[in-house]
Amino acid sequence: MDWRPSKRSSAAATCVAILLAVTAVAAGCGGQAQKQAAGGRVKASGSTTVLPIAQEAAVEYGDANRGVRVDVQGGGSSVGINQLIQGIVDIGMSSRDLNPDEVGKGLVNHNIAFDIIAIVINPSMPVTNLSDAQITAIFTGKVKNWKELGGPDKQIVVVVRDQASGTREIFDKRALGATDTRVVETVPSAIQCSSNGVMREIVGTTPNAIGYISFGYVNKRLKAISFNGVAPTVADAATGRYPIARFLHLFTKGEAKGVAKGYIDFVLSDKFQTEIVAREYVKMKDVKTP
Amino acid sequence: MSQGSGMSASTMRAIVVGDRERWIKLVMFFCASVSFLGVLMIFLFIFRESLPAISKVGIRQLFLSTDWRPKSGHYGMLAFTFGTLFTTAVAMIIAAPLGIGAAIFIDQVAPEKVGRSVRRVIELLAGIPSVVIGWFALILLVPFIRNLTGSSGFGMGAASLVLVVMSLPTITTLSAESLKAVPTELKEASAAMGATRWQSIYKIIMPSAREGLMIAVILGMGRAIGETMAVQMVIGNASQATASLVQPGSTLPTRIVQDMGEASGVFRSALFAQALMLLLISVFLVVFIRLISRKRKGE
Repeated sequence: MDWRPSKRSSAAATCVAILLAVTAVAAGCGGQAQKQAAGGRVKASGSTTVLPIAQEAAVEYGDANRGVRVDVQGGGSSVGINQLIQGIVDIGMSSRDLNPDEVGKGLVNHNIAFDIIAIVINPSMPVTNLSDAQITAIFTGKVKNWKELGGPDKQIVVVVRDQASGTREIFDKRALGATDTRVVETVPSAIQCSSNGVMREIVGTTPNAIGYISFGYVNKRLKAISFNGVAPTVADAATGRYPIARFLHLFTKGEAKGVAKGYIDFVLSDKFQTEIVAREYVKMKDVKTP
Repeated sequence: MSQGSGMSASTMRAIVVGDRERWIKLVMFFCASVSFLGVLMIFLFIFRESLPAISKVGIRQLFLSTDWRPKSGHYGMLAFTFGTLFTTAVAMIIAAPLGIGAAIFIDQVAPEKVGRSVRRVIELLAGIPSVVIGWFALILLVPFIRNLTGSSGFGMGAASLVLVVMSLPTITTLSAESLKAVPTELKEASAAMGATRWQSIYKIIMPSAREGLMIAVILGMGRAIGETMAVQMVIGNASQATASLVQPGSTLPTRIVQDMGEASGVFRSALFAQALMLLLISVFLVVFIRLISRKRKGE
Protein backbone atom coordinates (compact mmCIF):
# COMPACT_ATOMS: atom_id res chain seq x y z
CA MET A 1 0.00 0.00 0.00
CA ASP A 2 2.67 2.46 -0.95
CA TRP A 3 0.48 4.91 -2.81
CA ARG A 4 -0.99 6.43 0.33
CA PRO A 5 1.95 8.47 1.58
CA SER A 6 2.90 9.61 -1.91
CA LYS A 7 -0.66 10.63 -2.65
CA ARG A 8 -0.73 12.67 0.50
CA SER A 9 2.58 14.26 -0.32
CA SER A 10 1.47 15.15 -3.83
CA ALA A 11 -1.66 16.70 -2.37
CA ALA A 12 0.52 18.63 0.02
CA ALA A 13 2.71 19.71 -2.88
CA THR A 14 -0.36 20.94 -4.74
CA CYS A 15 -1.48 22.90 -1.69
CA VAL A 16 1.94 24.46 -1.36
CA ALA A 17 1.94 25.35 -5.06
CA ILE A 18 -1.49 26.94 -4.82
CA LEU A 19 -0.47 28.83 -1.69
CA LEU A 20 2.67 30.08 -3.40
CA ALA A 21 0.67 31.20 -6.43
CA VAL A 22 -1.89 32.97 -4.26
CA THR A 23 0.84 34.69 -2.27
CA ALA A 24 2.59 35.73 -5.45
CA VAL A 25 -0.58 37.23 -6.87
CA ALA A 26 -1.34 38.95 -3.59
CA ALA A 27 2.17 40.35 -3.37
CA GLY A 28 1.90 41.53 -6.97
CA CYS A 29 -1.30 43.47 -6.75
CA GLY A 30 -1.96 44.03 -3.08
CA GLY A 31 1.11 45.95 -2.02
CA GLN A 32 -0.57 49.31 -2.10
CA ALA A 33 -3.79 47.99 -0.65
CA GLN A 34 -2.14 46.63 2.47
CA LYS A 35 -1.17 50.09 3.57
CA GLN A 36 -4.78 51.23 3.45
CA ALA A 37 -6.42 48.41 5.35
CA ALA A 38 -4.28 45.99 7.23
CA GLY A 39 -5.64 42.44 7.02
CA GLY A 40 -8.04 43.43 4.25
CA ARG A 41 -8.16 39.89 2.92
CA VAL A 42 -10.66 37.25 3.83
CA LYS A 43 -10.84 33.67 2.61
CA ALA A 44 -14.04 31.69 2.21
CA SER A 45 -14.64 28.15 1.01
CA GLY A 46 -17.39 25.56 0.98
CA SER A 47 -20.70 24.76 -0.66
CA THR A 48 -20.94 24.97 -4.43
CA THR A 49 -24.58 26.01 -3.98
CA VAL A 50 -23.54 29.12 -2.09
CA LEU A 51 -20.48 29.67 -4.30
CA PRO A 52 -22.16 31.71 -7.10
CA ILE A 53 -23.72 34.14 -4.62
CA ALA A 54 -20.55 34.38 -2.53
CA GLN A 55 -18.44 35.01 -5.63
CA GLU A 56 -20.75 37.72 -6.91
CA ALA A 57 -20.71 39.32 -3.46
CA ALA A 58 -16.92 39.07 -3.27
CA VAL A 59 -16.52 40.92 -6.56
CA GLU A 60 -19.06 43.62 -5.74
CA TYR A 61 -17.80 44.06 -2.18
CA GLY A 62 -14.21 44.22 -3.43
CA ASP A 63 -15.17 46.84 -6.03
CA ALA A 64 -16.98 48.97 -3.48
CA ASN A 65 -14.19 48.86 -0.90
CA ARG A 66 -10.68 49.64 -2.07
CA GLY A 67 -8.01 47.40 -0.65
CA VAL A 68 -10.38 44.70 0.48
CA ARG A 69 -10.28 41.24 -1.03
CA VAL A 70 -12.47 38.21 -0.47
CA ASP A 71 -11.16 34.96 -1.99
CA VAL A 72 -13.89 32.41 -2.51
CA GLN A 73 -13.45 28.71 -3.24
CA GLY A 74 -15.77 25.74 -3.69
CA GLY A 75 -15.19 22.26 -2.33
CA GLY A 76 -18.47 21.38 -0.67
CA SER A 77 -20.15 22.28 2.62
CA SER A 78 -18.12 19.81 4.70
CA VAL A 79 -14.84 21.05 3.30
CA GLY A 80 -15.74 24.65 4.08
CA ILE A 81 -16.79 23.92 7.65
CA ASN A 82 -13.70 21.78 8.29
CA GLN A 83 -11.37 24.41 6.92
CA LEU A 84 -13.09 27.01 9.06
CA ILE A 85 -12.63 24.88 12.19
CA GLN A 86 -8.97 24.38 11.30
CA GLY A 87 -8.55 28.10 10.74
CA ILE A 88 -7.56 27.78 7.07
CA VAL A 89 -10.42 30.04 5.98
CA ASP A 90 -12.29 32.87 7.70
CA ILE A 91 -15.74 32.06 6.35
CA GLY A 92 -17.26 28.63 5.75
CA MET A 93 -20.05 28.46 3.19
CA SER A 94 -22.61 25.74 3.77
CA SER A 95 -25.91 24.60 2.33
CA ARG A 96 -26.66 22.46 5.38
CA ASP A 97 -26.84 22.88 9.15
CA LEU A 98 -23.91 21.87 11.31
CA ASN A 99 -23.51 18.16 11.89
CA PRO A 100 -23.48 16.99 15.54
CA ASP A 101 -19.66 16.67 15.49
CA GLU A 102 -19.30 20.23 14.21
CA VAL A 103 -21.42 21.82 16.95
CA GLY A 104 -19.62 23.30 19.94
CA LYS A 105 -16.54 24.41 18.01
CA GLY A 106 -17.45 28.05 18.40
CA LEU A 107 -18.93 28.49 14.94
CA VAL A 108 -21.41 31.30 14.47
CA ASN A 109 -24.16 30.95 11.89
CA HIS A 110 -25.31 33.65 9.47
CA ASN A 111 -28.29 32.68 7.32
CA ILE A 112 -28.00 34.45 3.98
CA ALA A 113 -30.79 32.96 1.87
CA PHE A 114 -33.67 30.52 2.00
CA ASP A 115 -33.82 27.79 -0.61
CA ILE A 116 -37.11 26.02 -1.27
CA ILE A 117 -36.90 22.99 -3.51
CA ALA A 118 -40.01 22.49 -5.58
CA ILE A 119 -41.01 19.18 -7.13
CA VAL A 120 -41.77 20.03 -10.72
CA ILE A 121 -43.46 18.31 -13.64
CA ASN A 122 -44.27 19.33 -17.17
CA PRO A 123 -47.40 21.55 -17.27
CA SER A 124 -49.07 19.08 -19.64
CA MET A 125 -49.28 16.48 -16.86
CA PRO A 126 -52.58 16.73 -14.90
CA VAL A 127 -51.14 15.58 -11.53
CA THR A 128 -51.13 18.33 -8.85
CA ASN A 129 -50.18 16.57 -5.62
CA LEU A 130 -48.02 13.60 -4.65
CA SER A 131 -47.43 12.06 -1.26
CA ASP A 132 -44.00 11.30 0.16
CA ALA A 133 -44.63 7.58 -0.45
CA GLN A 134 -45.49 8.27 -4.10
CA ILE A 135 -42.45 10.51 -4.58
CA THR A 136 -40.17 7.87 -3.07
CA ALA A 137 -41.75 5.19 -5.29
CA ILE A 138 -41.21 7.35 -8.39
CA PHE A 139 -37.61 8.33 -7.67
CA THR A 140 -36.55 4.83 -6.64
CA GLY A 141 -38.18 3.30 -9.70
CA LYS A 142 -40.98 1.33 -8.03
CA VAL A 143 -43.64 3.31 -9.88
CA LYS A 144 -42.83 3.70 -13.57
CA ASN A 145 -46.07 4.94 -15.14
CA TRP A 146 -48.14 8.09 -14.64
CA LYS A 147 -51.24 5.88 -14.85
CA GLU A 148 -50.55 4.62 -11.32
CA LEU A 149 -50.62 8.22 -10.05
CA GLY A 150 -53.82 9.29 -11.73
CA GLY A 151 -52.17 10.55 -14.90
CA PRO A 152 -52.20 9.29 -18.49
CA ASP A 153 -50.66 5.96 -19.55
CA LYS A 154 -47.16 7.37 -20.03
CA GLN A 155 -43.78 6.20 -18.79
CA ILE A 156 -42.34 8.48 -16.10
CA VAL A 157 -39.07 10.22 -17.01
CA VAL A 158 -37.25 10.80 -13.73
CA VAL A 159 -34.75 13.67 -13.69
CA VAL A 160 -32.29 14.09 -10.81
CA ARG A 161 -29.29 16.26 -10.01
CA ASP A 162 -25.65 15.14 -9.95
CA GLN A 163 -24.03 13.44 -6.95
CA ALA A 164 -22.31 16.62 -5.76
CA SER A 165 -25.45 18.73 -5.78
CA GLY A 166 -26.64 20.25 -2.50
CA THR A 167 -30.13 20.40 -3.96
CA ARG A 168 -30.03 16.66 -4.47
CA GLU A 169 -28.79 16.10 -0.95
CA ILE A 170 -31.64 18.04 0.64
CA PHE A 171 -34.21 16.45 -1.67
CA ASP A 172 -32.95 12.94 -0.88
CA LYS A 173 -33.17 13.69 2.82
CA ARG A 174 -36.44 15.59 3.09
CA ALA A 175 -38.44 13.98 0.30
CA LEU A 176 -36.98 10.48 -0.05
CA GLY A 177 -36.18 9.94 3.63
CA ALA A 178 -32.43 9.47 3.30
CA THR A 179 -30.26 10.04 6.37
CA ASP A 180 -26.53 10.28 6.89
CA THR A 181 -26.43 6.55 7.53
CA ARG A 182 -29.26 5.40 5.26
CA VAL A 183 -28.68 6.04 1.57
CA VAL A 184 -31.63 6.17 -0.83
CA GLU A 185 -30.50 5.41 -4.37
CA THR A 186 -32.49 6.87 -7.21
CA VAL A 187 -33.52 4.71 -10.16
CA PRO A 188 -30.59 3.99 -12.56
CA SER A 189 -32.58 5.12 -15.59
CA ALA A 190 -32.93 8.63 -14.14
CA ILE A 191 -31.54 11.43 -16.28
CA GLN A 192 -28.83 13.28 -14.38
CA CYS A 193 -28.26 16.97 -14.92
CA SER A 194 -25.71 19.24 -13.37
CA SER A 195 -27.59 22.49 -12.81
CA ASN A 196 -30.97 24.03 -12.06
CA GLY A 197 -30.99 25.53 -15.55
CA VAL A 198 -30.63 22.18 -17.29
CA MET A 199 -33.27 20.71 -14.99
CA ARG A 200 -35.74 23.39 -16.06
CA GLU A 201 -34.86 22.80 -19.71
CA ILE A 202 -35.45 19.04 -19.51
CA VAL A 203 -38.61 19.02 -17.39
CA GLY A 204 -40.00 22.02 -19.26
CA THR A 205 -39.68 20.31 -22.62
CA THR A 206 -40.35 16.65 -21.76
CA PRO A 207 -44.08 15.92 -21.27
CA ASN A 208 -43.56 12.89 -18.96
CA ALA A 209 -40.77 14.27 -16.80
CA ILE A 210 -40.59 14.84 -13.06
CA GLY A 211 -37.72 16.54 -11.25
CA TYR A 212 -36.89 19.02 -8.53
CA ILE A 213 -35.50 22.53 -8.70
CA SER A 214 -34.72 25.59 -6.59
CA PHE A 215 -37.87 27.65 -6.15
CA GLY A 216 -36.43 30.69 -7.91
CA TYR A 217 -36.19 28.74 -11.15
CA VAL A 218 -39.86 27.79 -11.34
CA ASN A 219 -41.60 29.62 -14.18
CA LYS A 220 -44.54 28.97 -16.45
CA ARG A 221 -42.69 26.22 -18.29
CA LEU A 222 -42.81 24.10 -15.14
CA LYS A 223 -45.59 23.05 -12.82
CA ALA A 224 -44.64 22.94 -9.14
CA ILE A 225 -46.79 20.32 -7.42
CA SER A 226 -47.78 19.92 -3.78
CA PHE A 227 -45.93 17.52 -1.52
CA ASN A 228 -48.22 15.73 0.94
CA GLY A 229 -50.87 18.30 0.11
CA VAL A 230 -48.70 21.34 0.85
CA ALA A 231 -47.69 23.63 -2.00
CA PRO A 232 -44.13 25.00 -2.03
CA THR A 233 -44.72 28.53 -0.78
CA VAL A 234 -42.45 30.80 1.19
CA ALA A 235 -44.91 30.91 4.09
CA ASP A 236 -45.28 27.14 4.40
CA ALA A 237 -41.59 26.48 3.88
CA ALA A 238 -40.65 28.97 6.59
CA THR A 239 -42.87 27.25 9.14
CA GLY A 240 -41.65 23.85 8.06
CA ARG A 241 -45.04 22.64 6.81
CA TYR A 242 -43.40 22.26 3.42
CA PRO A 243 -40.29 20.33 4.43
CA ILE A 244 -38.03 20.41 1.35
CA ALA A 245 -36.31 23.69 2.15
CA ARG A 246 -33.14 24.90 3.78
CA PHE A 247 -31.18 27.95 4.67
CA LEU A 248 -27.89 28.77 3.01
CA HIS A 249 -25.29 29.69 5.60
CA LEU A 250 -22.08 31.56 6.07
CA PHE A 251 -20.26 30.38 9.19
CA THR A 252 -17.56 32.27 11.05
CA LYS A 253 -15.41 31.16 13.96
CA GLY A 254 -16.63 33.38 16.75
CA GLU A 255 -18.56 36.55 15.96
CA ALA A 256 -17.67 37.98 12.56
CA LYS A 257 -15.43 41.02 12.67
CA GLY A 258 -13.50 43.28 10.35
CA VAL A 259 -13.68 42.50 6.66
CA ALA A 260 -15.57 39.24 7.24
CA LYS A 261 -18.31 41.14 9.05
CA GLY A 262 -18.43 43.78 6.33
CA TYR A 263 -18.70 41.08 3.70
CA ILE A 264 -21.52 39.22 5.46
CA ASP A 265 -23.38 42.51 6.06
CA PHE A 266 -22.99 43.23 2.37
CA VAL A 267 -24.48 39.84 1.45
CA LEU A 268 -27.42 40.62 3.76
CA SER A 269 -27.85 44.18 2.47
CA ASP A 270 -31.17 45.01 0.83
CA LYS A 271 -29.54 45.80 -2.49
CA PHE A 272 -27.61 42.54 -2.78
CA GLN A 273 -30.49 40.43 -1.48
CA THR A 274 -32.88 41.92 -4.01
CA GLU A 275 -30.56 41.99 -6.99
CA ILE A 276 -28.67 38.74 -6.63
CA VAL A 277 -30.09 36.44 -3.96
CA ALA A 278 -33.74 36.82 -5.04
CA ARG A 279 -32.88 35.62 -8.54
CA GLU A 280 -32.66 32.05 -7.29
CA TYR A 281 -33.64 31.97 -3.65
CA VAL A 282 -35.96 33.60 -1.14
CA LYS A 283 -34.63 36.81 0.43
CA MET A 284 -33.95 36.63 4.16
CA LYS A 285 -36.36 39.53 4.67
CA ASP A 286 -39.23 37.50 3.25
CA VAL A 287 -38.66 34.56 5.57
CA LYS A 288 -40.60 34.92 8.78
CA THR A 289 -39.60 32.10 11.05
CA PRO A 290 -42.10 31.54 13.85
CA MET B 1 37.78 36.36 -27.67
CA SER B 2 41.43 36.58 -26.68
CA GLN B 3 41.50 32.79 -26.41
CA GLY B 4 40.63 32.38 -30.10
CA SER B 5 43.58 34.51 -31.27
CA GLY B 6 45.83 31.43 -31.42
CA MET B 7 43.51 29.43 -33.67
CA SER B 8 42.75 29.79 -37.34
CA ALA B 9 39.32 31.05 -38.37
CA SER B 10 38.25 27.70 -39.82
CA THR B 11 39.04 25.77 -36.64
CA MET B 12 36.96 28.30 -34.74
CA ARG B 13 34.03 27.78 -37.07
CA ALA B 14 34.34 24.02 -36.77
CA ILE B 15 34.18 24.26 -32.99
CA VAL B 16 31.21 26.60 -33.11
CA VAL B 17 29.36 24.36 -35.58
CA GLY B 18 30.20 21.29 -33.51
CA ASP B 19 28.89 23.03 -30.41
CA ARG B 20 25.73 24.02 -32.16
CA GLU B 21 25.19 20.46 -33.40
CA ARG B 22 25.56 19.18 -29.89
CA TRP B 23 23.13 21.77 -28.53
CA ILE B 24 20.52 21.04 -31.14
CA LYS B 25 20.86 17.33 -30.40
CA LEU B 26 20.37 18.04 -26.70
CA VAL B 27 17.32 20.22 -27.30
CA MET B 28 15.73 17.62 -29.56
CA PHE B 29 16.49 14.89 -27.05
CA PHE B 30 14.88 17.02 -24.38
CA CYS B 31 11.75 17.51 -26.51
CA ALA B 32 11.49 13.80 -27.16
CA SER B 33 11.94 12.89 -23.50
CA VAL B 34 9.34 15.39 -22.37
CA SER B 35 6.66 13.87 -24.60
CA PHE B 36 7.75 10.32 -23.82
CA LEU B 37 7.89 10.90 -20.08
CA GLY B 38 4.61 12.80 -20.23
CA VAL B 39 2.80 9.83 -21.70
CA LEU B 40 4.52 7.48 -19.27
CA MET B 41 3.58 9.67 -16.31
CA ILE B 42 -0.06 9.80 -17.38
CA PHE B 43 -0.15 6.01 -17.53
CA LEU B 44 1.55 5.58 -14.17
CA PHE B 45 -0.50 8.28 -12.50
CA ILE B 46 -3.86 6.95 -13.68
CA PHE B 47 -2.83 3.43 -12.71
CA ARG B 48 -1.66 4.54 -9.28
CA GLU B 49 -4.80 6.58 -8.64
CA SER B 50 -7.06 3.68 -9.58
CA LEU B 51 -5.24 1.21 -7.31
CA PRO B 52 -7.29 2.01 -4.16
CA ALA B 53 -10.52 1.23 -6.02
CA ILE B 54 -9.08 -1.93 -7.54
CA SER B 55 -7.91 -3.21 -4.16
CA LYS B 56 -10.98 -2.13 -2.17
CA VAL B 57 -13.75 -2.88 -4.64
CA GLY B 58 -12.13 -5.77 -6.48
CA ILE B 59 -11.57 -6.19 -10.20
CA ARG B 60 -14.81 -8.10 -10.72
CA GLN B 61 -16.99 -5.61 -8.88
CA LEU B 62 -15.23 -2.67 -10.46
CA PHE B 63 -14.84 -3.63 -14.11
CA LEU B 64 -17.43 -6.37 -14.64
CA SER B 65 -20.43 -5.07 -12.73
CA THR B 66 -23.15 -2.70 -13.92
CA ASP B 67 -24.03 -1.77 -10.34
CA TRP B 68 -23.13 1.93 -10.03
CA ARG B 69 -24.35 3.34 -6.73
CA PRO B 70 -21.41 5.35 -5.42
CA LYS B 71 -23.24 6.47 -2.26
CA SER B 72 -23.65 2.89 -1.09
CA GLY B 73 -20.20 1.79 -2.21
CA HIS B 74 -20.99 0.09 -5.52
CA TYR B 75 -18.66 1.23 -8.27
CA GLY B 76 -19.35 -1.12 -11.20
CA MET B 77 -18.42 0.59 -14.48
CA LEU B 78 -19.60 -2.01 -16.98
CA ALA B 79 -22.71 0.04 -17.85
CA PHE B 80 -20.47 2.92 -18.94
CA THR B 81 -17.93 0.75 -20.75
CA PHE B 82 -20.88 -0.75 -22.57
CA GLY B 83 -22.30 2.73 -23.21
CA THR B 84 -18.99 3.83 -24.72
CA LEU B 85 -18.70 0.80 -26.98
CA PHE B 86 -22.39 0.80 -27.89
CA THR B 87 -22.66 4.47 -28.88
CA THR B 88 -19.37 4.19 -30.76
CA ALA B 89 -20.53 1.06 -32.59
CA VAL B 90 -23.85 2.63 -33.58
CA ALA B 91 -22.03 5.77 -34.68
CA MET B 92 -19.61 3.73 -36.80
CA ILE B 93 -22.43 1.77 -38.45
CA ILE B 94 -23.71 5.11 -39.72
CA ALA B 95 -20.49 7.09 -40.10
CA ALA B 96 -18.36 4.45 -41.85
CA PRO B 97 -20.57 4.05 -44.97
CA LEU B 98 -21.31 7.77 -44.94
CA GLY B 99 -17.66 8.77 -44.64
CA ILE B 100 -16.34 6.23 -47.13
CA GLY B 101 -19.18 7.11 -49.50
CA ALA B 102 -18.29 10.79 -49.25
CA ALA B 103 -14.64 9.91 -49.82
CA ILE B 104 -15.51 7.95 -52.97
CA PHE B 105 -17.54 10.91 -54.17
CA ILE B 106 -14.70 13.31 -53.48
CA ASP B 107 -11.98 11.19 -55.04
CA GLN B 108 -13.70 9.24 -57.80
CA VAL B 109 -17.08 10.64 -58.78
CA ALA B 110 -17.15 14.40 -58.42
CA PRO B 111 -15.44 16.81 -60.78
CA GLU B 112 -12.17 17.93 -59.21
CA LYS B 113 -13.42 21.38 -58.18
CA VAL B 114 -16.62 20.10 -56.59
CA GLY B 115 -14.72 17.32 -54.80
CA ARG B 116 -12.24 19.79 -53.41
CA SER B 117 -14.91 22.13 -52.04
CA VAL B 118 -16.87 19.25 -50.50
CA ARG B 119 -13.66 18.13 -48.86
CA ARG B 120 -12.94 21.60 -47.50
CA VAL B 121 -16.41 21.78 -45.94
CA ILE B 122 -16.02 18.39 -44.29
CA GLU B 123 -12.61 19.40 -42.98
CA LEU B 124 -14.23 22.51 -41.57
CA LEU B 125 -16.59 20.25 -39.63
CA ALA B 126 -13.55 18.85 -37.82
CA GLY B 127 -12.73 22.34 -36.59
CA ILE B 128 -16.07 22.99 -34.91
CA PRO B 129 -15.59 22.74 -31.14
CA SER B 130 -17.45 19.80 -29.63
CA VAL B 131 -19.35 22.00 -27.19
CA VAL B 132 -20.91 23.80 -30.15
CA ILE B 133 -21.97 20.53 -31.75
CA GLY B 134 -23.32 19.37 -28.38
CA TRP B 135 -25.37 22.51 -27.88
CA PHE B 136 -26.66 22.32 -31.40
CA ALA B 137 -27.72 18.70 -30.76
CA LEU B 138 -29.31 19.65 -27.44
CA ILE B 139 -31.47 22.28 -29.10
CA LEU B 140 -32.33 20.55 -32.38
CA LEU B 141 -31.63 16.82 -32.19
CA VAL B 142 -33.01 16.06 -28.72
CA PRO B 143 -36.43 17.69 -29.32
CA PHE B 144 -36.55 15.99 -32.72
CA ILE B 145 -36.03 12.55 -31.17
CA ARG B 146 -38.48 13.44 -28.38
CA ASN B 147 -41.24 14.31 -30.83
CA LEU B 148 -40.47 11.31 -32.99
CA THR B 149 -40.45 8.69 -30.23
CA GLY B 150 -42.33 10.18 -27.28
CA SER B 151 -39.28 9.57 -25.08
CA SER B 152 -37.29 12.24 -23.28
CA GLY B 153 -35.08 12.64 -26.35
CA PHE B 154 -31.94 12.29 -24.27
CA GLY B 155 -30.20 8.99 -24.73
CA MET B 156 -27.92 6.63 -26.57
CA GLY B 157 -29.42 7.50 -29.98
CA ALA B 158 -28.79 11.22 -29.65
CA ALA B 159 -25.27 10.51 -28.38
CA SER B 160 -24.55 8.17 -31.30
CA LEU B 161 -25.70 10.76 -33.82
CA VAL B 162 -23.45 13.36 -32.21
CA LEU B 163 -20.57 10.92 -32.52
CA VAL B 164 -21.37 10.45 -36.21
CA VAL B 165 -20.85 14.17 -36.70
CA MET B 166 -17.67 14.13 -34.62
CA SER B 167 -16.05 11.20 -36.44
CA LEU B 168 -17.22 11.91 -39.97
CA PRO B 169 -14.43 14.36 -40.91
CA THR B 170 -11.72 11.95 -39.76
CA ILE B 171 -13.20 9.02 -41.65
CA THR B 172 -13.88 11.01 -44.83
CA THR B 173 -10.53 12.74 -45.17
CA LEU B 174 -8.47 9.66 -44.32
CA SER B 175 -10.56 7.47 -46.63
CA ALA B 176 -10.19 9.96 -49.47
CA GLU B 177 -6.44 9.93 -48.81
CA SER B 178 -6.20 6.16 -49.03
CA LEU B 179 -8.38 6.04 -52.16
CA LYS B 180 -6.09 8.57 -53.78
CA ALA B 181 -3.11 6.38 -52.95
CA VAL B 182 -4.43 3.52 -55.12
CA PRO B 183 -2.03 3.32 -58.12
CA THR B 184 -3.41 4.96 -61.27
CA GLU B 185 -2.35 1.89 -63.30
CA LEU B 186 -4.91 -0.22 -61.46
CA LYS B 187 -7.69 2.24 -62.24
CA GLU B 188 -6.61 2.50 -65.87
CA ALA B 189 -6.27 -1.27 -66.26
CA SER B 190 -9.75 -1.75 -64.81
CA ALA B 191 -11.21 0.82 -67.19
CA ALA B 192 -9.34 -0.75 -70.10
CA MET B 193 -10.93 -4.12 -69.31
CA GLY B 194 -14.30 -2.52 -69.90
CA ALA B 195 -15.35 -2.17 -66.25
CA THR B 196 -17.90 0.53 -65.52
CA ARG B 197 -16.99 3.22 -63.02
CA TRP B 198 -19.02 1.53 -60.29
CA GLN B 199 -17.37 -1.84 -61.03
CA SER B 200 -13.93 -0.24 -60.83
CA ILE B 201 -14.73 1.41 -57.51
CA TYR B 202 -16.34 -1.63 -55.98
CA LYS B 203 -14.09 -4.40 -57.32
CA ILE B 204 -10.68 -2.73 -57.73
CA ILE B 205 -10.25 0.54 -55.86
CA MET B 206 -12.00 -0.26 -52.59
CA PRO B 207 -10.36 -3.67 -52.10
CA SER B 208 -6.91 -2.28 -52.76
CA ALA B 209 -7.53 0.61 -50.34
CA ARG B 210 -9.07 -1.72 -47.78
CA GLU B 211 -6.47 -1.34 -45.02
CA GLY B 212 -6.45 2.42 -45.40
CA LEU B 213 -10.22 2.54 -45.13
CA MET B 214 -10.11 0.37 -42.02
CA ILE B 215 -7.55 2.64 -40.41
CA ALA B 216 -9.74 5.63 -41.27
CA VAL B 217 -12.71 4.06 -39.51
CA ILE B 218 -10.64 3.03 -36.48
CA LEU B 219 -9.21 6.53 -36.10
CA GLY B 220 -12.77 7.83 -36.36
CA MET B 221 -13.66 5.41 -33.57
CA GLY B 222 -10.82 6.78 -31.48
CA ARG B 223 -12.29 10.24 -31.91
CA ALA B 224 -15.72 8.95 -30.92
CA ILE B 225 -14.63 6.98 -27.87
CA GLY B 226 -13.00 9.92 -26.14
CA GLU B 227 -15.66 12.50 -26.96
CA THR B 228 -16.94 13.98 -23.73
CA MET B 229 -18.61 17.37 -23.85
CA ALA B 230 -20.98 16.97 -26.75
CA VAL B 231 -22.06 13.52 -25.63
CA GLN B 232 -22.57 14.57 -22.03
CA MET B 233 -25.03 17.22 -23.14
CA VAL B 234 -27.37 14.79 -24.89
CA ILE B 235 -26.90 11.31 -23.41
CA GLY B 236 -28.89 11.93 -20.22
CA ASN B 237 -26.15 10.71 -17.86
CA ALA B 238 -28.22 7.91 -16.35
CA SER B 239 -26.33 5.09 -14.67
CA GLN B 240 -28.17 2.19 -16.30
CA ALA B 241 -26.86 -0.15 -18.97
CA THR B 242 -29.18 0.01 -21.93
CA ALA B 243 -29.11 -0.96 -25.57
CA SER B 244 -32.20 1.14 -26.30
CA LEU B 245 -31.54 4.17 -28.45
CA VAL B 246 -34.18 6.27 -26.67
CA GLN B 247 -33.06 5.46 -23.11
CA PRO B 248 -30.59 7.69 -21.26
CA GLY B 249 -27.21 6.22 -20.34
CA SER B 250 -23.58 7.20 -19.85
CA THR B 251 -20.21 6.63 -21.44
CA LEU B 252 -16.94 6.42 -19.53
CA PRO B 253 -15.87 10.00 -20.32
CA THR B 254 -19.28 11.49 -19.52
CA ARG B 255 -19.44 9.65 -16.21
CA ILE B 256 -15.98 10.89 -15.26
CA VAL B 257 -16.76 14.50 -16.09
CA GLN B 258 -20.17 14.31 -14.42
CA ASP B 259 -18.87 13.04 -11.09
CA MET B 260 -15.27 14.20 -10.76
CA GLY B 261 -16.19 17.54 -9.20
CA GLU B 262 -16.62 16.47 -5.60
CA ALA B 263 -15.71 12.79 -5.69
CA SER B 264 -13.23 11.74 -3.04
CA GLY B 265 -11.66 8.58 -1.67
CA VAL B 266 -12.68 5.32 -3.33
CA PHE B 267 -15.28 7.12 -5.45
CA ARG B 268 -12.56 9.30 -6.97
CA SER B 269 -10.33 6.29 -7.44
CA ALA B 270 -13.15 4.42 -9.18
CA LEU B 271 -13.38 7.30 -11.66
CA PHE B 272 -9.64 6.93 -12.30
CA ALA B 273 -10.23 3.23 -12.90
CA GLN B 274 -12.75 4.30 -15.56
CA ALA B 275 -10.08 6.51 -17.09
CA LEU B 276 -7.76 3.48 -17.06
CA MET B 277 -10.40 1.45 -18.89
CA LEU B 278 -10.79 4.20 -21.46
CA LEU B 279 -7.03 4.32 -21.90
CA LEU B 280 -6.91 0.55 -22.41
CA ILE B 281 -9.58 0.77 -25.10
CA SER B 282 -7.58 3.47 -26.91
CA VAL B 283 -4.36 1.46 -26.59
CA PHE B 284 -6.16 -1.54 -28.03
CA LEU B 285 -7.27 0.55 -31.03
CA VAL B 286 -3.75 1.87 -31.60
CA VAL B 287 -2.29 -1.66 -31.45
CA PHE B 288 -4.96 -2.79 -33.87
CA ILE B 289 -3.97 -0.04 -36.31
CA ARG B 290 -0.29 -1.05 -36.01
CA LEU B 291 -1.20 -4.62 -36.85
CA ILE B 292 -3.17 -3.56 -39.92
CA SER B 293 -0.40 -1.25 -41.16
CA ARG B 294 2.22 -3.96 -40.62
CA LYS B 295 0.14 -6.41 -42.58
CA ARG B 296 -0.14 -3.91 -45.39
CA LYS B 297 3.60 -3.35 -45.47
CA GLY B 298 4.22 -7.10 -45.36
CA GLU B 299 2.18 -7.69 -48.50
